[in-house]
Amino acid sequence: MLELRLVQGSLLKKVLESIKELVNDANFDCSSTGFSLQAMDSSHVALVALLLRSEGFEHYRCDRNMSMGMNLNNMAKMLKCAGNDDIITIKADDGGDTVTFMFESPTQDKISDFEMKLMDIDSEHLGIPEAEYHAIVKMPSSEFARICRDLSSIGDTVVISVTKEGVKFSTRGDIGSANIVCRQNTSVDKPEESTVIDMNEPVSLTFALRYMNSFTKATPLSNTVSISLSNELPVVVEYKIAEMGYVRFYLAPKIEEEEEDTKP
Amino acid sequence: MAQTQALTFINEIQSLVSDKLQVVSYKWLSRNYMVSSDEAKRVLQEFVQKNEGELEVVYALSGWLKSNDRSYHVRLVTGPKLAEAQKEFDGDCSVQVYSVQASIPKDPALLWNAEFIQAEELFKQPSSDDNCLRDNRFCGISNSFVRRNVDASTVFSAAPQPKSAVGEGPTKINAVQQSPKNIARDSIDKADTKRQNVIKEVKSESNGTGNTVVLDNINKPTAAKEKALPLPTGKKKVQVDKSGSAAGGSLTSFWGRASAKPKPSTTSVENSSTVSNPAESTEDAQTACVEECDSGNDDNQNVSLRRSSNRKRRVVFDFSDEDEDVVNLASPDLPNKQLSQDSRQNDKSTSEKTTLNFDLQEENKSGVKEEKPTDQKAHLPLRENLSAISKCTNTEKSSSEKLHICAPDVRVNKDSVNNAPPCSPKRRKVMKTRIDERGREVIEVVWEGEETVVKKPDKVTTKKADSHTNAVNSAQATKKPPANSNAKNGKGGNKKAGNKDTKQGNILSFFKRA
Repeated sequence: MLELRLVQGSLLKKVLESIKELVNDANFDCSSTGFSLQAMDSSHVALVALLLRSEGFEHYRCDRNMSMGMNLNNMAKMLKCAGNDDIITIKADDGGDTVTFMFESPTQDKISDFEMKLMDIDSEHLGIPEAEYHAIVKMPSSEFARICRDLSSIGDTVVISVTKEGVKFSTRGDIGSANIVCRQNTSVDKPEESTVIDMNEPVSLTFALRYMNSFTKATPLSNTVSISLSNELPVVVEYKIAEMGYVRFYLAPKIEEEEEDTKP
Repeated sequence: MAQTQALTFINEIQSLVSDKLQVVSYKWLSRNYMVSSDEAKRVLQEFVQKNEGELEVVYALSGWLKSNDRSYHVRLVTGPKLAEAQKEFDGDCSVQVYSVQASIPKDPALLWNAEFIQAEELFKQPSSDDNCLRDNRFCGISNSFVRRNVDASTVFSAAPQPKSAVGEGPTKINAVQQSPKNIARDSIDKADTKRQNVIKEVKSESNGTGNTVVLDNINKPTAAKEKALPLPTGKKKVQVDKSGSAAGGSLTSFWGRASAKPKPSTTSVENSSTVSNPAESTEDAQTACVEECDSGNDDNQNVSLRRSSNRKRRVVFDFSDEDEDVVNLASPDLPNKQLSQDSRQNDKSTSEKTTLNFDLQEENKSGVKEEKPTDQKAHLPLRENLSAISKCTNTEKSSSEKLHICAPDVRVNKDSVNNAPPCSPKRRKVMKTRIDERGREVIEVVWEGEETVVKKPDKVTTKKADSHTNAVNSAQATKKPPANSNAKNGKGGNKKAGNKDTKQGNILSFFKRA
């Protein structure tokens, strides 16, 4: 028996909106500690890790661990039927092949039940090692989204370079090139507007903007985003979900091929 | 002299503050321009007066406080708060300009960021070097037991050590690359005669390497040119030097191609002087210099804005020269081989002078030997390339970047220069961009391919080849495939790193299945 009651239902909606573009089908894993998901995109370049801790739910009951395969687009469709202020409850029976989403309006005068068929998804769970990242950049998520959006109109890839001066996003395309440098800026009034660079070593990595842009769909979840970079490791773009957990996107860097540049 | 110098400072400060948004403090100024801190403060004061209201000033107040526990107090305050702060001091307090900047940084640490990097740079110099930080030359506080060495202007070794470039953007550049100029300026007065001597020395030495003629030619045109140049500030020879290079910079900004050549020529001069050390390759020196001069000019000339277009042009030019597609590579170990301070100094000053006469030099050179023409030609594109490269690098905001080239590669190149005919078509040049441990972007130009095939014992072609680094040693003239690279040149485009074919990594290669 599974019963998760989330007062802030809009949060679940946002979570789905943030990952459904990247991943079509995924298993949601429910355990006593929380509600989580890990999935790769179809090309196996990016990975999403979602965690909603049990403490974040108003009511959390999970008798035994279970994994529910869902089509995220379908799930998003159902969740769209919930109002932004609705309380969402997720219910499932052990061994059942459906999941039920119950939406209660804040005034309790409307209660909707949506039952969705589960799928059998053969997904691989990846072990993500704890890594020390060379550089961690924290910045306003909207700023990051803006940068990715702007750069993607110019080029396909973004080079993210972190130095002690700041973090530089640069791209290059047919029409020209672009560089955006964000300097560390901790003295703003609101901490969520600050840009903090925690760098042990300078890093420079290249990523496909397409993926970055789909990561920024999670912008509504958090005011800040943290980007952790290490040479030879996938970047981690993390949006914290207040008091509940996080959505983390891992993206494998683009690797420069040996013979790439044969410029005389 | 002092006045003209101050004038130049002021111009440069202007550009640093307004274009590069650097915080210019008196300490930085003092070290960078090799003037005493008092002088630096004075210049800043002057600058502030001239540019009233256009910039933010941080003053250093020092004096006794009015408060009960009388303590001597030094305080930095911004312009608007100056009067208020002054009231807190008892009686007269000294008010000096600490720094000027376009805006007051939110993070006060930025105030001494530039200084810090500069100091770090100075400290990092080999301990044998006696720089202004070590002997505390410009400090207002002196101790009779501390030896001072104001006249030993040669100390600054930054120029010959491209590797030592440190830190961030403008600061670094100035600290490192600008320094040659300053030194030259400073030292010339004192060591003018000395320098002459050295040049001669160099010449004679270069005789040994068979370059004499060239060298002579180089030097002469230089001199001629020097005189011919319009000298904005030129009152003294020192100034001439300076303005000469400055003119080079601004001309460069107008005539991309024309200036592209002269600059490298600078290098070649330096080159020839360095040749005096048998263990070095001329080409190495050249490239290293090209780099330096190039970037130095770039950053020093206050034409950074125009630069970009200039760069572009050069790159294009690069293309047009396809037939002579050879790249000269600088070896990183060049600096270590630097000779005596004197020669260094001279190199620098000479190189400055020569900035504009590459063409002349070229003609001269070609006259010299049969071999030379090819050589020369080859050099040309090399330089072009280099400058292109350094341009690129400069484009990246941290102009501190330098080119890294492997010694072996250098050999190959040089050889190729010497022996124009294509031999092994299997090599290709690859530019690798990486960020080094200090956050500088480094572009490595590497020749990939089978070196062994290419190697060919000897080649009389001048001793340049021989004069290579130890590693390279033995006269090897390796032939290189210009043709090959030409082809690549044609299609390759000079888009630099951004255009590389990159392969998308797979997440599964990083994370294991659980």
